[in-house]
Amino acid sequence: METTRRKFLGLLGGAAAAAGGLGTPRAHAQAGPIKIGVLPIKAGVGALPGEYGLRGTLWATERINAAGGILGRKIELLVEEESSPKDTVERFRKLALQNKVDVIVGVISTGVGLAIGPVAEELKMLWLSWDGTTQKGVDESMPKPKYSFRSVDNEAEAVMSSILTAKYFKGKFKTVAGLNPDYSYGRDNWAAFLAIMKKYKLGVTPVADLWPKLGTTDFTSHVAALQQAKPDLIFSSLWAADVSIFLKQAHAVGLTANTKLVFPVAGLVHETLKKAFTPEGMILGYNSMYFDMPKPSPLLQQFTKDHQEKYKEWPSYESDHAYFVIAAYKAAVEKAAKASGGKWPSTDQIIQALEGIEVESLSGTRRYREDHIMEANFYQGITTHKNKYDFVTIDPLEVMSTKQIQKASGIGLYEWIESWKV
Amino acid sequence: MLGGVFHAATLFLVAAGLQLVFGVQRIVNLACGSFYALGAYFGFSVVTWALKGGMPQPLLLVALILGGLLLATIGLVVERLLRFIYDRDESFQMLLTFALVLIFEDVIRFFWGTAPYQLGNLYLVYGRLQVGGLTIPVYNLLVIAAAAGIAVLMGWFLARTRWGRIVRATAENRAMSEALGVDMRRVYAGVFTIGTALGTVGGALVVPATAAIHEMGIDLIVEAFAVVVIGGLGSMRGAFVGALAVGVLKAVAIATYPEIEMLAIYVIVIAVLVLRPAGLFGRATA
Repeated sequence: METTRRKFLGLLGGAAAAAGGLGTPRAHAQAGPIKIGVLPIKAGVGALPGEYGLRGTLWATERINAAGGILGRKIELLVEEESSPKDTVERFRKLALQNKVDVIVGVISTGVGLAIGPVAEELKMLWLSWDGTTQKGVDESMPKPKYSFRSVDNEAEAVMSSILTAKYFKGKFKTVAGLNPDYSYGRDNWAAFLAIMKKYKLGVTPVADLWPKLGTTDFTSHVAALQQAKPDLIFSSLWAADVSIFLKQAHAVGLTANTKLVFPVAGLVHETLKKAFTPEGMILGYNSMYFDMPKPSPLLQQFTKDHQEKYKEWPSYESDHAYFVIAAYKAAVEKAAKASGGKWPSTDQIIQALEGIEVESLSGTRRYREDHIMEANFYQGITTHKNKYDFVTIDPLEVMSTKQIQKASGIGLYEWIESWKV
Repeated sequence: MLGGVFHAATLFLVAAGLQLVFGVQRIVNLACGSFYALGAYFGFSVVTWALKGGMPQPLLLVALILGGLLLATIGLVVERLLRFIYDRDESFQMLLTFALVLIFEDVIRFFWGTAPYQLGNLYLVYGRLQVGGLTIPVYNLLVIAAAAGIAVLMGWFLARTRWGRIVRATAENRAMSEALGVDMRRVYAGVFTIGTALGTVGGALVVPATAAIHEMGIDLIVEAFAVVVIGGLGSMRGAFVGALAVGVLKAVAIATYPEIEMLAIYVIVIAVLVLRPAGLFGRATA
């Protein structure tokens, strides 16, 4: 009888009353809104994905609150900032200890994520990361975390692009050049690309590998070097404003006319890839969310529409990572509460519910693996000018699951690629 | 190689602004990078606005230069603020101008947001040039010509005009020029505004070829300092040669051995500091 009463009140949004009445230890915390700490990057190159992440968070929160909150409790966001590892750890601590938030979402940089991981464990603070999982972040410092839930491996998109390169360009190129941002992500991507080319026995020769600093704004020297090296194909994991600057400068000297281009993650800044200088026929990746799906889900359709109306922009994938973590948290709380008779669950119970949880996100169904890593679909394709926009989109669209393009836990990236049967 | 010269052209403008202000006012103005970034954003806005108002596309360059010059009036305001610290220790001056860098970054965020701005394909409005199998956007050549023109103009202004002589005299000996009746306030305000204009015009000029983004200022300050160290603090000729050296060196490094792109520049910087501490064209001070 009592179980039913609890559940009833909980579902009605009377969780506070129920908990208070029953005198559970966390009664006070459950009385008010659910506090969610948010850590988006706000300055520098990362401000762009940071902003998209925040937009996804805001949209998810507005929707959930409009529908009555999570078990009747409204979400209150406490937005801080992701900057250097040291400062971000301080803000993480502040959110956990001073603001006493229920969960912290965000973080895009691997370096920051590496610093936050142990702190989340130490403070027993549930942290659902948006991004920041290059191999360095995956391998070493976060083995079997309890309180951290990580994003998809950052190299998954390079893996997919490499497979598509083999599919679309096999036999059409011999020499390759890399133009990748000079940090672990760029280095890992280029190495993964070369490893996969070798695996597919495509017999390619690298003729240049260039490492512009992240956020470079003048590529004239890189373009000149590429003109000299004359590669058949350029692989580039640039992802910020630098993509369009490079393409514009490359187009201006005729470099894009006859060179095949593979850009696994430039879809983050898809609106800057204007038709005027972005060619058709290049491989372009949108990570886990493509805004212009041929048959969009009602959720994606609504988000795209709201996003366009509010920001006058077509949305980008970091919003989907951010939407997913909030949606997963909500589903986990509800699932755990159901199991414990409608009572607001403890952090441990929420963590248990998050493991293996599957929810609908903007990009389709996504889930957390039991080892706390996201599982999602990735969207890439061949650029086309045949659309209603002034920038390129992709057609045909290729979809691959991280089940195929992300390594399992416990195995190194290159070891895993080596183990493929092709 | 030409890629390097294009980069050198913008680098020269910013470094020249830094040199002029230091030469006369003895202030190491870190905010020169911010003027560059602001110039880029403002240049973008001016051109977009002018095109909407019916400006023919080939007037792009004119609009950018006018935009840069218009924006340079903020130099007057900033100089008014700096007046409080002319007599303070250099470290205070650095701190204040660094504070300005941070403030201007937020100003940009406030007015333009975090997204980068681009001028679509206006870059190719002047067409391309085929030289011996190489394709060069004419715009690059125009920017290089504009920077060279400004260098000549600055040289003429400083060496041949009455105002230029006053500026040089002030740089040489402030107290004496003041005693001889030079209105120091006007000289400082004027010099600082010209220094600002060099940065804002430089920023505006690169926008069609690149984009206006937040970090562009900070990145350029670092390189401008390398230029200044190589060329010698306070020397215009130094800015010219230093910028050319850094730009071309960078291009050569990227084409031959990309790993040493940054290293190459700073090896030269260190060599200059060790062998000729005052820089190639600088004068040693006690």
